[in-house]
Amino acid sequence: MDVSAMIPELLSALPLTLAITFTALIAGFCLALLATTLRVHRVPVISHLADLYVSYARSVPVVLQLFVAFYGLPLLVVLFGSEDFFSPTIAAMVALSFYHGGYLSEVLRPAYLAVDRGQHDAADSLGYTFRQKITRVVGPQAVHFALPGYGNSVIYLIHNVALVMYIGAADVMATAHLIMERDYNQYQFETYLVLAVIYSVMCLIAWLIVRFFELRSPMQAPEATAKAQIKNALIASA
Amino acid sequence: MFDTDILLQDSQEILGAVPVTLAMAFTIFVLSTIVGSLFALVEYRRIPLLRELVVTYKVVFKGVPMVIVIFLAYFGLPPALQFLFSLVGIDFNAHETPNWVILVIAITGCVAAFQAEIIKGALNAFDTGQSDAAYSLGYTKGQLFRRVLFPQVALTAIPDLTTSMMVIMKALSLGFAIEVVDIFAQSQLTAALNFYYLEAFVIAVVIYMVIAYVVTQIADRLEQSLRVRT
Repeated sequence: MDVSAMIPELLSALPLTLAITFTALIAGFCLALLATTLRVHRVPVISHLADLYVSYARSVPVVLQLFVAFYGLPLLVVLFGSEDFFSPTIAAMVALSFYHGGYLSEVLRPAYLAVDRGQHDAADSLGYTFRQKITRVVGPQAVHFALPGYGNSVIYLIHNVALVMYIGAADVMATAHLIMERDYNQYQFETYLVLAVIYSVMCLIAWLIVRFFELRSPMQAPEATAKAQIKNALIASA
Repeated sequence: MFDTDILLQDSQEILGAVPVTLAMAFTIFVLSTIVGSLFALVEYRRIPLLRELVVTYKVVFKGVPMVIVIFLAYFGLPPALQFLFSLVGIDFNAHETPNWVILVIAITGCVAAFQAEIIKGALNAFDTGQSDAAYSLGYTKGQLFRRVLFPQVALTAIPDLTTSMMVIMKALSLGFAIEVVDIFAQSQLTAALNFYYLEAFVIAVVIYMVIAYVVTQIADRLEQSLRVRT
């Protein structure tokens, strides 16, 4: 089997995988911000809808979410009286955005709540508006708490993009299936190994990027702070 | 269009797959917790060589999507088993291994990497002063584990273990790729017979959300009843 011939062919489908990933990353982040805001502020009814959305995104298998989007979205669009424009790719983008948004909301909400209550009060007492408070005081600290979870959710997203072939999007997995069938299904194990390497590399890159931001974060790691506190206490008691 | 008449009939068929799915999920949960605990123990005790192997294992199984692991197991496991059996000299046709066994092994392999992390975290949260205290009171290692360490570590791990139970439930839905019928696969089969795709999938969504709700509630109750009140 010729791996060197297979890799360029597989990589030719990579742009679609990446396009779906990045769309889901961006749209999912916006959705997560929206859902988190609604859930933190406890607006009646709407907050419960946000809760329902998050539990849908988290407890339903992603394959099933893809299928629901693929069969459900056209119905919804026709109901509002416009053309059905959903290709498998667009349906996959929408479904994964919703998945990622719900998952990320459950990362952002604890991060927001982890910021010390006193910080909110201090910002309020200094006369910060809500927006200033979020952008200058609470936001930067919440980002620090959220980064590790964010890295995980990006990796899960990359894993789940491998599933879009089931609704017919021509991504790397689908291309691999084409290659295998052309070789009369002789080299399935080897092809999947190559796929495993490709996805591992993608996850590794994503992880390295998130890690870079984690290390650059101006706040010290929690353990370091704890150690410093213990040290100070020891010095004080000595 | 969305047809409500078909819902009742479909849901009966799809509900039929729930016990099998739960049974498989529970098996995987127990197996992966055992394997994950062993991994966590290796890392906690810092056993040389084995520790590096465990880290490599975790990196590999976390970086590769579960579908690909399932396919790799599907195509790679039977020949590997066959080879192993022929080494020992047993005549056994591993290619007849049922698909659900392969699925259980593949998902156990994936989830064990995550379970190891959870249990390692719970072990690290355990205060070593308590084991010192237990030793000073003359506890043996077995007693320490049974009476002091295990109850606390298990309690700390409950919330994360609930999450991984849900991860397993979701992972089982990938079994349809290798013809294992769980809730999702059953909804697909039902839909393929009468072409009411969206209806069948909506039923499956509801079933999954109800199961998630029930599992979370049970775990919360369990945690509350086990927690030491101070």
